Amino acid sequence: MRSKTFLFSRSIWLQQIRNIGWIALAHLLLLLAVVPLPMIVVYTTKATNQLPTWRNIYSISGPFQGMIAFTIPVLLAIFLFRYMQVKNSADYMHSLPFRREALFAQNMVLGLAILFIPIIVTACLTAMLCYVLPIDRSILAMADVMRWTAEMGLMELFVFTASVFVGMLTGLSVLQGAFAYILFLFPTGISVLVLLNMEYMLRGFASEYYLTAKLEQIVPFVRFLELESRSLSTTEAGCYIIVTMLFTALSLWLYRKRQSEAANQALAFPILRPVFLYGVAFCFMLVGGLYFGEMTVNSLGWIIFGYVMFSFIGFFVAKMIVEKTWRVFYKWKEYMYFVAAMLVVGVIIHFDLTGYEKRIPQLSEIEQVYFGNSTARFQQFFQEEHNVSIEQPDQFLKSKENIKNVYLFHQQLIENRNTHGALQGDFRNVAIGYVLKNGDRFIRTYSVPADEYMLFARPIVESNEYKKNYYFLLHDKGVAPIRQVTIIEEPVGEKRVTLIEPKQINEFMSSLKQDMMEEKMESLVGGVGTWGMIELLQSDGDIIHVTWKKTYAHTEQWLTQHKLLSKARLTAAEVDYALVVKNKERKPLYEILGDPNSAQAQQFLQQSATLRVTNKQQIEELLRQSASNPGDALYFIAFYRSGQREPQWEVIDEKNIPSFIREQLP
Amino acid sequence: MIEIRHVRKEFDEVEAVKNVSLHIQQGSIYGLLGSNGAGKTTLLKMMAGIYKQDAGEIFIGGEPVFENVKVKQTTIFLPDALYFFPHTTVQQMAQFYKDVYPSWNEERFGKLQELFPIDVHKKIHRMSKGMQRQVAFWLAFSAMPNVLILDEPFDGLDAVMRQKVKNILVQDVAERNMTVVISSHNLREVEDLCDHVGILHHGEMLMEKELDDLKADVHKIQVAFRNGLPSLFLRGFQVLFQEERGSVLLCIVRGQKEQVESHIRKFEPLIFDVLPLTLEEIFIYEMGGVGYAIENILV
Repeated sequence: MRSKTFLFSRSIWLQQIRNIGWIALAHLLLLLAVVPLPMIVVYTTKATNQLPTWRNIYSISGPFQGMIAFTIPVLLAIFLFRYMQVKNSADYMHSLPFRREALFAQNMVLGLAILFIPIIVTACLTAMLCYVLPIDRSILAMADVMRWTAEMGLMELFVFTASVFVGMLTGLSVLQGAFAYILFLFPTGISVLVLLNMEYMLRGFASEYYLTAKLEQIVPFVRFLELESRSLSTTEAGCYIIVTMLFTALSLWLYRKRQSEAANQALAFPILRPVFLYGVAFCFMLVGGLYFGEMTVNSLGWIIFGYVMFSFIGFFVAKMIVEKTWRVFYKWKEYMYFVAAMLVVGVIIHFDLTGYEKRIPQLSEIEQVYFGNSTARFQQFFQEEHNVSIEQPDQFLKSKENIKNVYLFHQQLIENRNTHGALQGDFRNVAIGYVLKNGDRFIRTYSVPADEYMLFARPIVESNEYKKNYYFLLHDKGVAPIRQVTIIEEPVGEKRVTLIEPKQINEFMSSLKQDMMEEKMESLVGGVGTWGMIELLQSDGDIIHVTWKKTYAHTEQWLTQHKLLSKARLTAAEVDYALVVKNKERKPLYEILGDPNSAQAQQFLQQSATLRVTNKQQIEELLRQSASNPGDALYFIAFYRSGQREPQWEVIDEKNIPSFIREQLP
Repeated sequence: MIEIRHVRKEFDEVEAVKNVSLHIQQGSIYGLLGSNGAGKTTLLKMMAGIYKQDAGEIFIGGEPVFENVKVKQTTIFLPDALYFFPHTTVQQMAQFYKDVYPSWNEERFGKLQELFPIDVHKKIHRMSKGMQRQVAFWLAFSAMPNVLILDEPFDGLDAVMRQKVKNILVQDVAERNMTVVISSHNLREVEDLCDHVGILHHGEMLMEKELDDLKADVHKIQVAFRNGLPSLFLRGFQVLFQEERGSVLLCIVRGQKEQVESHIRKFEPLIFDVLPLTLEEIFIYEMGGVGYAIENILV
């Protein structure tokens, strides 16, 4: 029976091959040019002493292979189904005695052939080259070729079916191409946009926490470029296969539903029009909010301006695409529906009608709290940690006291809704999370004014539990016995004290640990001066570096007792004099430090009021109070050391200004 | 052969075809008339199974058309804007039709070459519009369809070619009982061809008629009487139109020709002529009463 062969008409094959055969040829030539050709070129040129460091086929020309994988299948989908996007050919093809399923199946099979045959030919040739050319098996082996064939095939198939799918939704080939690429970016793009915008609207929303979910991994191009270092996992490959099958099934379903007259229409199904219009308006709105939010540092007025302006543009651009005309502005009523809907959503979110901002678990339900300045470690709660930091500001706390203090801080933050909005001045990021007894987790992030932070975070930060988690040295486990202590002065580094006697090391270590345990918050959160660095050599050969802060009284006392202090750090005895410079204009220190001999720096020194300090006691006090971080402090100090021409520049914090400076250099 | 029941189709909320029903018998040539935008092409494309109707049913030979391979194998649609695969020659297209339409007649294709003076190895896209249309007819006739649907088919054909094509059409209808549907905005173009005519206006079927009936029913007569018009003269039959030209009365009446003649002869007219009536005139007078500006519809 002839009807058995209807699914595949020889003539349709012939016609389609005549139309799109060039894509198969281009595909093959491009693949040959980026895989076997470079292999031949590299291995046949005389200078073979420099062999390439290929790890797999992607190393040869990964980005070019990516370009092929993300253009050829899109082109193929466009040209294969070009007939249904042009009115005359759509009418003609659908007047022929073929069912749509048959046309679709035939085109898909042809498409697969055009994708796979060149890949397989290239793979065979590459495999052959692996044997013919003097290529080390460790560089390229058969397994690499197999993997490449499978992954390249799957990726191209995915891109192809996705492009066919969007082709069913639109009636314009240009839009088919554009929509295909938008589709690849859409899942990631919309998630990022929504999350970042939620942060503007909802105080405490931890977008950072949700964004670390490696969203870029679901962008196919990004994933392709990473194939060189990481092959597709079984799960990933499974996902790609499922999505590919889904696209194929949906395409067939849509093709059967699709009307012939959809040719030349921007959207093939009328039902998609509102979806497209309002979808584009929504995405543009989010982009606008993000743009103005980032530009003006979260100014709500500007964000709303961005929402309105961009959604307006997005809506009417979409309208122009759908209606294929410029004259669309008289249809403003449809836009107003969008505005009204967004107003409702905006009101619900902004006035927190869902209670998100005020939500806080019951104190009694909390098993442990998370406190820090980023959500990074909250994410890894269930994972084993690979890197142990010497100082860890983000941590889980379990003591009742700390749970309560974090809870109180959080309550305070919830009450202080006013601090929401434009951020100016000194702010600190706070991440607060809870792990509840029932296993639920809860995370919020806030930007808190520095004063408020110091006030509420102090009991937490200064607690023993926090400190023990904070300093690796104070951990109960993990630190091997210390074999040697080296104290190195900074920033000059010419002084150095080494302790190797176990008794001395033990004494020194206990005073250092005591200093850490007693450390005040100001010292912990930074900004205090340092004397130098302490290098601890462990029995397992690892070295721990600890900052020797000027606030460490016990350590200093121990060094003094053992007459090591002057060998470990700069003391007043070695300073001829100190020059205190009043920085009235509050210029940052690095402008002067950058080049002390520059005309600008010299001019600054001449114009500023200075005080020359020679009293050793006063110099010692200055040494103790100064810090070396380059900031725009009110006073700069240059310590002129004996026998050195260049001074050592430091700054002094306003809170720590000695009284004699206040008096003599007001 | 073709049965259309309450078919409706809209594009973008504009109703192109509204509740159209019609019936076309096998072996007839049906003329679908209407002005531009009347919905002719839409209706034809639905008949050809290209468009799917929003409502109603379309059957050819008792089977629904849409996505029906069996029906479509014996139905050929010639659109007003022709399509051929890019860069194909007549020979290649013929090969394609041969594969696609089981009833393809290679012998006929060869015979028809005498009528269509075209090189089979020439690329169709390089040909003039008129030649392309000849190719389309050539292929369609060689495929020997049961139903041939033609949308404005004679555009671009010269008078000689038009006549040739019409001859083959009539011949096929006579010999093979082929059913033909022709759309046109010009009544005169299809007048000599069609046996049935339907008028589509704003997506609605205004009327459907068999032409022989029409011509037999309506008569244009010219009469004059010695002593003026007898008072009872016009009582006997339905007058569609009357006009006095001096003492001569011109009127269009409906009725059986013999009856009309015998009725008039009773009054012993001085002059009595039965004049030929063009199809166009029949329509205009028939429709005149309904109130449509039929002149505009039929050009």
